[in-house]
Amino acid sequence: MTAKRLRVFALLAISMVFLLAWAFPIIWSVLNSLKTDSDVLAYPPKLVFAPTLDAYRDVLFGSGSILPNLLSSAIISVGTTIVTMLMAVPAAYALARLRFRGKKFAGFYVLATQMLPPVGIIIPYFLVLRNIGWIDTYQGIILIYLSFSLPFAIWLLVSYFEDIPFEMEEAAYLDGASRLKTLWRIIIPQVRGGIAVTVVFVFLNAWNEFLFAVVLSGNTVRPVTVAMFNFVSVEQTLWAKLAAVSVLAMLPVVVLGVVAQKHIVKGLTVGAVKGGGRR
Amino acid sequence: MSGQGQVSFRNIVKMHGEFAALKGVNFDIKPGEFFALLGPSGSGKSTTLRILAGLDAPTAGRVLIDDKDVTSTDARDRDIAMVFQSYALYPHMTVAENIAFPLEMAKLPKAEIAPAVRDAARKVKIDHLLDRKPGQLSGGQQQRCALARAIVRKARLFLLDEPLSNLDAKLRLETRAELKKLQRSLGVTAVYVTHDQEEAMTLADRMAVFMSGEIQQVGTPAEVFARPNSIDIAGFIGNPPMNLIPARYVDGDVIVAGHRLKTTSTAAGERDVVVGLRPGALRMTEGGLGARVDLIEDLGDTAVFDLDCAGTMIRMRVSDGNIPGEGDTISISARPQDIHLFDPATRMRL
Repeated sequence: MTAKRLRVFALLAISMVFLLAWAFPIIWSVLNSLKTDSDVLAYPPKLVFAPTLDAYRDVLFGSGSILPNLLSSAIISVGTTIVTMLMAVPAAYALARLRFRGKKFAGFYVLATQMLPPVGIIIPYFLVLRNIGWIDTYQGIILIYLSFSLPFAIWLLVSYFEDIPFEMEEAAYLDGASRLKTLWRIIIPQVRGGIAVTVVFVFLNAWNEFLFAVVLSGNTVRPVTVAMFNFVSVEQTLWAKLAAVSVLAMLPVVVLGVVAQKHIVKGLTVGAVKGGGRR
Repeated sequence: MSGQGQVSFRNIVKMHGEFAALKGVNFDIKPGEFFALLGPSGSGKSTTLRILAGLDAPTAGRVLIDDKDVTSTDARDRDIAMVFQSYALYPHMTVAENIAFPLEMAKLPKAEIAPAVRDAARKVKIDHLLDRKPGQLSGGQQQRCALARAIVRKARLFLLDEPLSNLDAKLRLETRAELKKLQRSLGVTAVYVTHDQEEAMTLADRMAVFMSGEIQQVGTPAEVFARPNSIDIAGFIGNPPMNLIPARYVDGDVIVAGHRLKTTSTAAGERDVVVGLRPGALRMTEGGLGARVDLIEDLGDTAVFDLDCAGTMIRMRVSDGNIPGEGDTISISARPQDIHLFDPATRMRL
């Protein structure tokens, strides 16, 4: 009995260490976002302080408001997600189901694009966008985001489509449905979970993206991840405001995560068990 | 939209790369017939059904339905309903929605769909389950749901791909009888794929027996049972299967394990043959073929003996309760009309 209790205690302690390592930056951000600038810099750090929403008020409604940046992020993320899903769902279906010339290569290509280091392709991307005048535009950033969100989404969705037995589709054909109708009425409703997971991941990847955004955006289109650096300068770092913006930027991520938690866990296991096997 | 349901296969060949799944298959199904495609797994019976359904295209040959060439017609335009081995129910739809789906695709008005769905569900006795999802049904109920989805449209052809194989033994027997009644009451042409010879024997009006990509015999179950065309069919039909014994034919007699048995053949001469003897056609008589009883399987109303006739294993079935003891020596024989002769080289009936 005591040995068992000891083991549970040890397990709990180890879990707490991991949890703390993960939660510390979030706790730090939340705490600091509620402090005044002087409280932030106090040493030793104050755990007990008079909380204030000044930092939030400033970053939302002050002179350097990040509201336009949040809007930019939202437009980019939603736009990327919609375009990605419109293309990824049919593509994944085709890869899972149809037999066509070059399918193996297409499947490999989709994965291979994921292996390129982003830093290596950022300069060509920049040059291309500059030549067509799409730097600092929504369409430019969304186009570039598609280059990594699309392969990821296709790769994730293929395993869901492969899970649906062929007979299901054949039954629908014999029931008089066309291929498109079968996809819409029979197949897609069954991969809803997979589509939800993919939407969440694509949205979050676009929302959190920094590297491409910092190079390809400008003053018109400036997502919140880039705008955060307004509060970091050579002379000083406005920690409280930076923390407040981080918390605000994290909010949609956390909300989505909680809402879609069940689907995500299930989605990840499906991928894990199925592997990346292409038929 | 419901037609006659007459089917003709003309020299259908199906190649999978170098492998010939079907080597020129020909048969005709009459309207309203219950037609079984019987054969061991890999014999081509399922491929035949899939070609008839339009799910696979033949490499060569023509498929005719009601005298119209449908070889290159899409599955959805053939007016065929099918029950899959896995049932292939749509898991995200309720039973009612599953059954309604073919009618929706046929663009039937909503007001006609609901009564048709209820009617089909009542015929297979699942009208109390219409609001359930397939996942909440038992195996037998799922099977009925698949049946209802197939009969609701009143298609001219009704295909069944081993529909009973996922049911437990008792349910399989019950459903088998109901299936036959259902087909009779609907008067629809049914094509039924099975590897279970008992299912084919009991259900089919006529059947085609497949062996390695070819049809070896077409006929009523009684015909196929009484006069199997080949050694392979003889060994496949009947339970326990026919005894097939290499023997010598001499002027109208065969010599089995040193004993002469009269046949109906009158041809003179001498040759090697394979003798086919149904276990149930063997009789215990005086002065017959001597046999030692090795094993007795008593099934209550019948009993099956494993006999050792001078080194040749023969199985015999009796249903008159006259059971010897294990290790006893008995004497058996068969009437001339119960002795089948096959050519060991061509494997065909002589």
